[in-house]
Amino acid sequence: MQLIPEYREDLPRVERFNFVARMTHWGHTVTFILCLLTGLVLFLNSGADWLAAIFGGYNGAGLVHRIAAVTLTIFLVIFVIFDFKGIINWVKDLLRFGKDDIIFVMKFPLEFLGFPVKMPPQTRFNGGEKGNSMLTPTCVILLVLSGYIMWFPTIFPAGLVRISYPIHDIAMVLATFMVCMHGYLGSFHPGSGESFWGMWKGTVREDWAKHHHAIWYEETYADKTDADSDAE
Amino acid sequence: MALKTNLYDVSKCTACRGCIIACKDWNQLPAVIEPFKGNYCTHEDTNGDTFTIMRFMEYEEDPADDVKWHFLKYQCMHCLDPACMKVCPRHAYTKTDWGATFHDPEKCVGCQYCTYACPFHIPKYRKREDKITKCTLCVERVEAGLTPACTRTCPTGALSFGDRHELLDYAEERVKFLRANGFPNATIYGKLELGGLNKLYILTDTPDKFGLPIDPKVSSTIPAWKDWIQPYVGWLIPLALAGSAFSFVTTRILAGKHEEHAEGGHE
Ligand code: HEM
Ligand code: HEM
Ligand code: SF4
Ligand code: SF4
Ligand code: SF4
Repeated sequence: MQLIPEYREDLPRVERFNFVARMTHWGHTVTFILCLLTGLVLFLNSGADWLAAIFGGYNGAGLVHRIAAVTLTIFLVIFVIFDFKGIINWVKDLLRFGKDDIIFVMKFPLEFLGFPVKMPPQTRFNGGEKGNSMLTPTCVILLVLSGYIMWFPTIFPAGLVRISYPIHDIAMVLATFMVCMHGYLGSFHPGSGESFWGMWKGTVREDWAKHHHAIWYEETYADKTDADSDAE
Repeated sequence: MALKTNLYDVSKCTACRGCIIACKDWNQLPAVIEPFKGNYCTHEDTNGDTFTIMRFMEYEEDPADDVKWHFLKYQCMHCLDPACMKVCPRHAYTKTDWGATFHDPEKCVGCQYCTYACPFHIPKYRKREDKITKCTLCVERVEAGLTPACTRTCPTGALSFGDRHELLDYAEERVKFLRANGFPNATIYGKLELGGLNKLYILTDTPDKFGLPIDPKVSSTIPAWKDWIQPYVGWLIPLALAGSAFSFVTTRILAGKHEEHAEGGHE
């Protein structure tokens, strides 16, 4: 049984994510998961000694949480500084949310389970990815803000500190809920698994791009290939 | 076991600060010297090395008279239903069967959730150990049959220690006496507040005059966080994992069924 679709070098490929986007994405993935595991140590109220033991106890987990948190913040800053244009394009794509995205999201449960479904053409990010792109980063930003408030409570008003605790937890749960499905869809799901290579090596198969992100493909590559063939 | 409590009678206190020193001495706490702030308080608030303080509240009844003071010994109230205990993710707090809220530094990770949950903002962070500290109601002394260090040292009898019921009876009498003798607003503090504190005060005026909240409340963010979000909302995570695992299986079964269609590397 195949886990991730094979990386096909023999087929034509198109670029999907540049280096900065890929580097920061995986940076966020590692630091997010570290924060998650070390945070759950306190969240699981009945005690999670086994989980804490991995990080050398509860104090060790607290330390790893802070180191991972700072690293996560640095990756955020790198992303904003070095791929600002990418972020703007990303946001622009999210703002194109429309009827086709809604149809996509409604039909998606079937696709998720593996039934063959005909989806309307999608832009760079499909309806589900648009939702993920809005919810997950919002939660991560909330985690960062509430996290620093919890870390340095004395320099913030007490009311803000008190509200940060439930915010940190709700944002953690929502972000993790999304990340679980997202990580699965971006790897082991046979339909969308090809996107993993877009995030790992930078390119996806051209036929996959045409099929899954028709509008994006048309706008970004179709014209150019036409122009190329005209020139020939 | 019956509740044993510490009663502090403001009307008998001379603010000699013997209790602060006795507490420091018994608990081996180093001195913390704060800059002079233009009043008689040695400390604005409790801190990681000061479990109890003496508050001086200046007031002027009649401008012709001199300045007067309200004194208040301030420390952990040993709430019967303590918010600090509710939020602590490490279960570092326990209630002794006689009513002290005991904090175990071995378990504490210094997250300071308790500091912000406590309606009196009592637990304080001790940076050098990355833990919080607070008044213990002298658990070890009491369990060895002694009275708390602060109580033992009090020269005027403003502090007394004993059975909570007996002390409450005494306090009711004392308040009656004070009301009849020039303190019409005299009151008991700690009998009903927050469902009862295991620390009683006889005040010569309303609690706000002593900087105590008249109706102390536990922030509503705590039940939201501890009774709803943590026990229920967290289940979304295993749900997402289970959904993904389910899809992992069904996609592979269905892919087998639609083999012919998926020819050529699925889409
Ligand atoms: C810049 C980012 C972050 C900062 C500064 C931060 C900081 C903190 C701090 C100070 C605490 C208190 C516990 C302690 O002292 O160790 C905490 C708890 C926690 N954090 Fe974070 N954090 C961040 C990001 C995250 C992320 C990304 C996650 C999860 C995905 C997360 C999950 C948690 C959880 C579950 C808790 C325990 C909450 C509870 O006890 O109910 N944190 N965090
Ligand atoms: C667990 C392992 C993870 C895997 C395998 C994974 C995989 C991927 C892939 C393949 C893409 C590109 C999707 C596309 O072609 O559009 C992507 C995009 C993205 N990833 Fe991840 N990712 C993981 C974890 C995370 C984490 C922890 C976060 C954030 C906390 C995150 C946030 C995002 C966001 C915001 C996008 C862009 C929006 C989207 O495509 O949904 N990812 N990820
Ligand atoms: S006064 Fe604060 S620290 Fe003391 S028992 Fe009550 S909630 Fe806990
Ligand atoms: S600082 Fe210590 S005692 Fe207070 S809530 Fe955190 S772990 Fe518990
Ligand atoms: S009861 Fe003990 S710890 Fe608490 S203030 Fe008195 S002497 Fe200090």
